[in-house]
Amino acid sequence: MSVNGETSSITGFDASDHQPAFIFTPSAIEGAPERPAKRRRVGRTSAPDPTKHAQAFRFERLLNGLEDTECVGLREELFKRHWAKTEERIQSILGESNEDTLTKVTSFVQDVAPTEGSGIVPTGFIVTGPNIASQGLLFEQLSERLKTEVNGPVVTLRSGDAANLKAALKQLIRDATNQRAVNEDEGEGFFERDGRKLLNYDLEILHGFVKLHGSKRAIVAFQDSEAFDPGLLGDLIALFSSWMNRIPFVLLFGIATSIDLFRERLPRAATKCLFGAQFDVEQTSSVFESVFLKVIAGSEAPLRLGPALVSSLIERQHNHVQSIQAFISALKYAYMCHFYANPLSVLSDNERDSKSLLKLLQSEHLEAIRMLPSFIKLVENSVEKHEVTLARGLLEDDKVLLREVEKALDSATQRVITILRTMHVLSSAATGPVEKIDLYVRAFKGSLSDSDTVRAVLDSIKRMAPDALIAFIGRITKAVENGSPELDLEGWLGEETEFLKEITDIQGEVTSLVEEAVETGKPVRSQYAIHSQGLRTTVIAQKVQLSYEKSTLSKQDIKYTALIDRMSNLLKEYFTFEHPQDLFLNEVWLYDSLSPYKEVFTPGSRLAIEQSLSAPYHYLPGCKDTGDAFSSSKPATAILYQMYLESGSLINVSDIWTAFFSIVGGEESEGYDERTALMLFYRGLADLKLLGMVKPSRKKVDHLAKSVWKGL
Amino acid sequence: MASLFSLPNELVLNSLRSSFPCRDQQIRSLATLLSIRGAPPRNIVLHGLEATGKSAITKALLEALSSGPTNTTANGDSEEEHAEDNLRHAIVKSAECITGRHLLEQTVGAVASAVGWREGVRRCDSLSQLVVELGRLFEGWTSDRTDGAKQRFVLVFDGIDNQREAPPTLLPALARLGEVIPNLTSVFIVTAPRPNFLHFPGVPHIHFPPYTKAEILQILSLTDPSPKLPEGAKDTKDVWIRFGSAVWDSLAKHSGRDILSIRSVCLRLWPRFIAPVLEGTHSASQFSRLLLANRSLFQNDGVLVPSIVADTPTNPTPLPSSLQHGKYRGIGAQLPYYSRLLLVAAYLASFNPPRTDQVHFMKAAAAKRRKKGGGTALPKGRPGVTKHRKISRKLLGPQAFVLERMLAIFHAIEEDADLRAKAGRGRERTAGAADIQMAIATLATLRLLVKVGAANAGDTLDAGSKYRVAVGWEVVRGVARSVGVEAEDYLAE
Repeated sequence: MSVNGETSSITGFDASDHQPAFIFTPSAIEGAPERPAKRRRVGRTSAPDPTKHAQAFRFERLLNGLEDTECVGLREELFKRHWAKTEERIQSILGESNEDTLTKVTSFVQDVAPTEGSGIVPTGFIVTGPNIASQGLLFEQLSERLKTEVNGPVVTLRSGDAANLKAALKQLIRDATNQRAVNEDEGEGFFERDGRKLLNYDLEILHGFVKLHGSKRAIVAFQDSEAFDPGLLGDLIALFSSWMNRIPFVLLFGIATSIDLFRERLPRAATKCLFGAQFDVEQTSSVFESVFLKVIAGSEAPLRLGPALVSSLIERQHNHVQSIQAFISALKYAYMCHFYANPLSVLSDNERDSKSLLKLLQSEHLEAIRMLPSFIKLVENSVEKHEVTLARGLLEDDKVLLREVEKALDSATQRVITILRTMHVLSSAATGPVEKIDLYVRAFKGSLSDSDTVRAVLDSIKRMAPDALIAFIGRITKAVENGSPELDLEGWLGEETEFLKEITDIQGEVTSLVEEAVETGKPVRSQYAIHSQGLRTTVIAQKVQLSYEKSTLSKQDIKYTALIDRMSNLLKEYFTFEHPQDLFLNEVWLYDSLSPYKEVFTPGSRLAIEQSLSAPYHYLPGCKDTGDAFSSSKPATAILYQMYLESGSLINVSDIWTAFFSIVGGEESEGYDERTALMLFYRGLADLKLLGMVKPSRKKVDHLAKSVWKGL
Repeated sequence: MASLFSLPNELVLNSLRSSFPCRDQQIRSLATLLSIRGAPPRNIVLHGLEATGKSAITKALLEALSSGPTNTTANGDSEEEHAEDNLRHAIVKSAECITGRHLLEQTVGAVASAVGWREGVRRCDSLSQLVVELGRLFEGWTSDRTDGAKQRFVLVFDGIDNQREAPPTLLPALARLGEVIPNLTSVFIVTAPRPNFLHFPGVPHIHFPPYTKAEILQILSLTDPSPKLPEGAKDTKDVWIRFGSAVWDSLAKHSGRDILSIRSVCLRLWPRFIAPVLEGTHSASQFSRLLLANRSLFQNDGVLVPSIVADTPTNPTPLPSSLQHGKYRGIGAQLPYYSRLLLVAAYLASFNPPRTDQVHFMKAAAAKRRKKGGGTALPKGRPGVTKHRKISRKLLGPQAFVLERMLAIFHAIEEDADLRAKAGRGRERTAGAADIQMAIATLATLRLLVKVGAANAGDTLDAGSKYRVAVGWEVVRGVARSVGVEAEDYLAE
């Protein structure tokens, strides 16, 4: 008894396999003989219209189906509008990030002069880093750019297109010759030579094409060079090199690892034919940061992600993938979830004023607002402040609530911008480089004032000499004046009065102190600086030195120390602000829900299969958890899986059948007879085989090899 | 009546000889065999290693001979008789032919354009069709000849021994073309002919031996090095030849002995070699001092590896030691955390024998974990076993491993890495996650893991598919340290 003879292969599996009969559904009206589809690619096949698909999908009515259709429409419209804007911003950043590389490569392609007769192919090596997903965009942009700026065919080859030499050449020639619309009078002359039709993998065709159009370059780009078979690549390069005297080839290789590693893999004969330049693409991490700052932290971002989600996104970037594309889709998903599932998201429409938004609200909306954690916080706060009437009003009177909502909506943007400004001031005040994403997470966690950066800044002030302090204050004022283009912040010199006045005050006083010091010839130092100097300079007579220094604190020094204390307190106060997630109605503009993201973007496919096989009662209604691993109430596959787990690496089919039958069959009334049991057994084993868990073993007759272990 | 046998014009040969020095004998033999009133055989085999001038000489000679009649004016009396002689040739490069059929099509195409055939050419997908087509073409060509004039066609198959997808009968069939078609000489240019590879007796072979040192230096002296010495052209040439000799002795003698590679190495090293002279610190006349000053140039055999990227002036070819260390630093830093860990796991799976896995990776055995083979002492006294174990595992190269085993090792070392490196971070559940599978697939795409066996056998992520790691110890150690794992702790040997 073995499943060896079964001809079940995974490739042939589809949904109709479990149907009892095959149902024939004619695709077209009978009688109309359909033309067989053309085998070669005929232009662009009519792609399914995306708008048609989108129309089929509509947002659901929320609030138990009581939501107004206008609100539903508004949510959908908001999502589309906001996402379109965000995506546009992202695309422009991505485009800019590759701009440098594109320009360099284009000028290389234009300027490179092939050495006559040497057979050396000019080559550009584009080192992209191991982020394979972004190569596609880069090469798309590259081929667009090259097509417009260089006279000649541009072909991008991917490893999937090129299984062997013939296929690669076919693809190359087809793509190259399709790039110019063929004029009527020119005809497709290059497909023939002396009345002889050329084979479709003959580079003679390309030669004819190049001659006909007078192309200066024939650019062949290998998008994922590492994934190509090195032997194939070697053949191609040797072939190109041999044609160099007729076709002006220029090669471009997208390299994910490093040039040396790439060269080592190529055959020696091929590397001899290559010579060119290396181009480095901007690293993913820096692009990532600029995208992040623009679309999540930027002042114009319509929706902000909360700290938990952001740190989870960042961690995944670090641990698993490093690709902007994954991040963008996660971001889009967050937008979708927010506007799809949150009825209050209508309030985030920034094109209407809050009055007209409030008119939209139904009583259900208000009920929903009263469920919000931020509402609870608001009420608790007002109770703590002994404003009991307000608290009661919020809970009972819709008018009071609406007034409060309006207030919150009006102030929301300003509050967020305050946070962003603080971040910007902090990052420009810090002496070393700052992790801006980390700063964002901390700011939105409300723990910015405890962060290392703030502490480092405050510590550094204490040790500053007067000149350094003046420069420091200058930096802050400059940051306020100029704003931050990264975050879309404009300068806010006119708005910030108190803080700026204070620090310019300090600056003025310090300057006068310094002037005094220059006159007297004694340097001004703060108490803290002297203290640390004393510690540093003396090793033997530490105590004596310290007391000596302290006693000579001049008047200016004391004044200066007071100034520094003032500055430090001022900054500490400035960097402390309310926890954004305590703000009333932050749920409208802040999305911080982790579980939808985790479910969609980090699936545990294998884990799910193992889980469902070992505990089917979590999934199937008819199956009860009896505590017994070999309960006969489980499906046959689950029972077999349990046996599978407990067996060794080779499974005797006869033994497992006997064990299986002893559980499923039996004399009791509910047991199956042998034929049914055998059928169940076969089906279970076939399922396991389909899941790739067992395969027929060649080591022993009538044995199955176990190939998968649980929990890996 | 013209003489039946006459050698080609000496002037032609002389110009050839000057452009291809040290190939005198080969040029003469080939000219005798190919010239129209020489001793034409049906087949000629030219053989010799790469870069010995086979193809270049054949091409140049044939071009000279086919334009011969106009040049024979120097040899006044024979002008009339030879005026009608007509030698044409076609060269088919096997390197440019993708399949056997492509070769046949190319042959027909080349011959058709050589004989000036104007009508259409039919498809040609088998050897017998080739014979018919060629026969038709030659018939058209020979029909309009005048009496007494000789006509000859030379068909050159360049590199025919490396033809891709060649049918097994290709070579013998091509050798017999001359039997069917009159006035045809086929020339086969091959690297190293097997005895009787044409299955045809009495084919003249001309050997192109590799150049000796003296010959190489003679040829090298024809090249002009690019930055000239200030002393003048004669001194430059002098130093260039002595420099060439030094390069041959130190670098090229053992590897890269063919003229092309030694020339490129010389040209690359030359600017750096004479840099001290140009700066004025050394004089060109003191060659041995110059040699000593540039000692490092001749010890660095990194230059023998053809570089594929232009040396930027700020970054000259790195020294071998820095080459070794700096090579992979980029990858280790750029890969995501779990990919790095997977790479380490793959290395361990490749270099540890499966039977020691229990010692290294099982939790129960953690206390007993030992370096150098662990506790599985093999029974002594069995000579076969000890002899076998003498070869270090590292020297045997990476072994194939099953994906499932690598995953198991990954989870074992992941805990360790967590303990050491990720003290602050929360532990993430990685078992059965799709992200890990994606990381494996990415590593396989980057060919840092190489799939063993047939390319299409089984899915990339099938638990049973086998892989081999494609990075070395130096890299893995660096990568492992970056994720907080000491790879030595887990290595069997």
